[in-house]
Amino acid sequence: MKATLARIRARAWNGQPPDGRLSVVAALIAIVMAMPVAYVVWRSAFAGVDRWARLLDTRVPGLLWSTVSLAVGVTAIAVALGVALAWLVHRTDLPGQRIWRWTLALPLAIPPYVGAIAYIVVLGPRGWVRDWLGAPPPVSIYSFAGALFVLAVFTYPYVFLVTGAALSRMGRAHEEAARSLGLGPLGVLRRITLPMLRSAIGAGAVLVILYVLSDFGAVATLRYTTFTSAIYYQMGGFDTLSATVLSVVLIALTLLVLGAETFGRRRARFHPSGAPRPADLVELGGWRWTALGFVVAVLTISVLLPVGVLVYWSVIGVAEGALDARFWGYALNTAQVAGGAALVSMVAALPVVYLRSRHASLASAALERLAYAGYALPGVIVALGLIFFGIRYLPWLYNTAGMISLAYVVRFLPQAMQSTGSSLALVSPRIDEAARVSGLSPLAVIARVITPLVRPGLLAGGALVFVSSIKELPATLLLRPAGFDTLAVRVWVEASESVYYLAAPAALVIVAFSVLPLKWLLDRY
Amino acid sequence: MAEIVLDTVTKTYPGITSPAVDALSLEIKAGSVVTLLGPSGCGKTTTLRLIAGFERPDAGSISIGEATVAGPTAWVPPERRGVGMVFQEHALFPHLDVASNVGFNLPRAERAERVAETLELVDLAGYDRRMPHELSGGQQQRVALARALAARPLVVLLDEPFASLDADLRVHMRAEVRRILAEAGTTAVFVSHDQSDALAISDTIVVMRDGRIEQVGSPREIYQFPHTRFVAEFVGRTNLLAGRIGEDGDSVVTDIGVAPCRHTHDLPPGTPVTVSVRADSLELDAEGPLRGVVREATYTGRSIDAMVEIQLADGGTADVLVHAHPEQVITCGDEVRFRVLPEFVAVIGEGGPG
Repeated sequence: MKATLARIRARAWNGQPPDGRLSVVAALIAIVMAMPVAYVVWRSAFAGVDRWARLLDTRVPGLLWSTVSLAVGVTAIAVALGVALAWLVHRTDLPGQRIWRWTLALPLAIPPYVGAIAYIVVLGPRGWVRDWLGAPPPVSIYSFAGALFVLAVFTYPYVFLVTGAALSRMGRAHEEAARSLGLGPLGVLRRITLPMLRSAIGAGAVLVILYVLSDFGAVATLRYTTFTSAIYYQMGGFDTLSATVLSVVLIALTLLVLGAETFGRRRARFHPSGAPRPADLVELGGWRWTALGFVVAVLTISVLLPVGVLVYWSVIGVAEGALDARFWGYALNTAQVAGGAALVSMVAALPVVYLRSRHASLASAALERLAYAGYALPGVIVALGLIFFGIRYLPWLYNTAGMISLAYVVRFLPQAMQSTGSSLALVSPRIDEAARVSGLSPLAVIARVITPLVRPGLLAGGALVFVSSIKELPATLLLRPAGFDTLAVRVWVEASESVYYLAAPAALVIVAFSVLPLKWLLDRY
Repeated sequence: MAEIVLDTVTKTYPGITSPAVDALSLEIKAGSVVTLLGPSGCGKTTTLRLIAGFERPDAGSISIGEATVAGPTAWVPPERRGVGMVFQEHALFPHLDVASNVGFNLPRAERAERVAETLELVDLAGYDRRMPHELSGGQQQRVALARALAARPLVVLLDEPFASLDADLRVHMRAEVRRILAEAGTTAVFVSHDQSDALAISDTIVVMRDGRIEQVGSPREIYQFPHTRFVAEFVGRTNLLAGRIGEDGDSVVTDIGVAPCRHTHDLPPGTPVTVSVRADSLELDAEGPLRGVVREATYTGRSIDAMVEIQLADGGTADVLVHAHPEQVITCGDEVRFRVLPEFVAVIGEGGPG
């Protein structure tokens, strides 16, 4: 019996079991990360057959339709925009390429709920368009079309960045080969370039789909009901068991997308050979200015106009005294909960990442996957799980700001893990062994040698978690103690009552902070 | 006295059927310099990592000094084994300067003194405040060695320490490392796939193949009297010939003629055997009894490697490799005469060359 256990343990760790304390710590972290989501699934078993049947009959089909149709529509638009822009910026003689490469990624710094608020200001029933034209736009912003428009405008950069990165790595060998075989420029694009980009486009599209499935702020602001907003309002009505049922369906939907992505990645894989020479640029000729107009139009809709709206209302807000003591109080609250989450993430990321890097095995891969649970799944579900779990097992933490920080850690720890992991990959395992023979225990090696060496990655990871936490909306709304407001919460509350001069300054602060990690993201691609 | 004892040690990596180290037993004497030599995949690095404690044996036991460090009931982690290690890419801590690398984890009381002493030993006095990236390859090597020696380990383990150095520096560092180890008086175990490193630096060479020991001996024994075909071919270049033990017991009779041989394993006359005749033991000599035609000649600077085709008694031909002094002029098609020196002729087993 004991021998069998030892053999299973050896198999799971690929023959290299790590230090016992280290694996216990990493396992605890991974379990905490996965616990909220697991708990939601577990609780859904208590919803009862009747409730399940009723929801599956009445609510679920409608929600599936509204959610999936929105995800498909947004993804289609985002792919079309992203691929076209990436090709124009990387493969043509479009003027100002270098500038567009990073400015076209900027919409990622604007949380879609902030973008939604900006477009309500412009296109809403009492918006600027009505002021200019005397009548609101024929299609209401509070509709499928509104959600489709706003989400597509703020998510196309996922496709743009991933496709652009693939285009710049692709080199020109294949395209030249096709030209030599008699294909014209359009034929090359259609038969060589686009097929080779398929996996990159797919990866970008999956990011967009996952975002749409998880988005709460934008759809709720635009009063369009998807799974996330339905779950949120179900909880507002204290029908938490129904919320768990809807959550389980949404989790299944998300896992389906993730599974399809893994499958697709396995099938299509193109290896770029070495460091290729950059491809020749396609000459746009007379289309140059049309293309430039298109790029400027996208940039205006996705960045200039929304930021302009925020600046406009912020100026009014500052004049009206919006930056009062209460505002700074919200800012301080935000910094506290986000800062706490960043600190905890930096500490918690290292053990998991270290095991994955130094003890590559089934067990460490499983721990890493568990730690991704809260990142892959929508924030409302994480919040729902933490409410259940907190009330029952962490009453001292429930209804405190600490609970919000914990939710941020569960949601964003993988960002710190990725950043720390890429730093750790640069440190040879021989360094660890050299420290061991110098007399350090495994834990001392991490504390005294690895931590100083991966400090840049740890700090970058902490910064990423901090910024993501500032933006976070659904978990903050659901978990905050009464009277505890953050900047994101204020944006939400003031905007829902159309008090834009109070919402805009806070939103602008969030956007300004969000620009920072974008630079890190751009350096990676 | 044996400093390190490996007793029927076996290590199999998960998912791989053949063991990386297969029931290996080895004793390493205190103060000696031993090289584990073999091609990649022979288990030499695994053996070193087993001694260091980075791998656990599946069976067998290992002791260092008085203590059993690995066995069915014993396990001592690497940090408590009293070993020092020099890694292939040096693995200096990039965030620490030379003094902090060498003094890493030494007791504070003796740190400064010991760092100064050790840096003196490796000829790097005054480099204390340099960072690793400011050092040349040879200097990094010295720091790595100093770090391994600073805690006065019972044993220093060196994993392909010369592999990352270029040719000139390599020859120089071999002599330096030899000197430093002799002054420190530590037992040292090297891992190498390079025969010239192994021959130059070791008291004892352990030739390994497929996780087992092929032959243990001094560099001279390994080179002059290889016991197996594998050792003969892996260490240096050689000619393998079929033959039988001569009537006097001090020679072998081969297709190319009778060669004097002092390493016959006392096999009775007439036994069919395989003979290794080193290229160095074939000496060009106008009076020599053997003759042949040069098919290929490669000038290497240190010697001329000539492939000579010899007419056999039965009418066939055989190609043998001959090392000639570089001052000689040899061109393809020349007819040459040579003789066999007895020192580098060894019987490596019974039966013909497979």
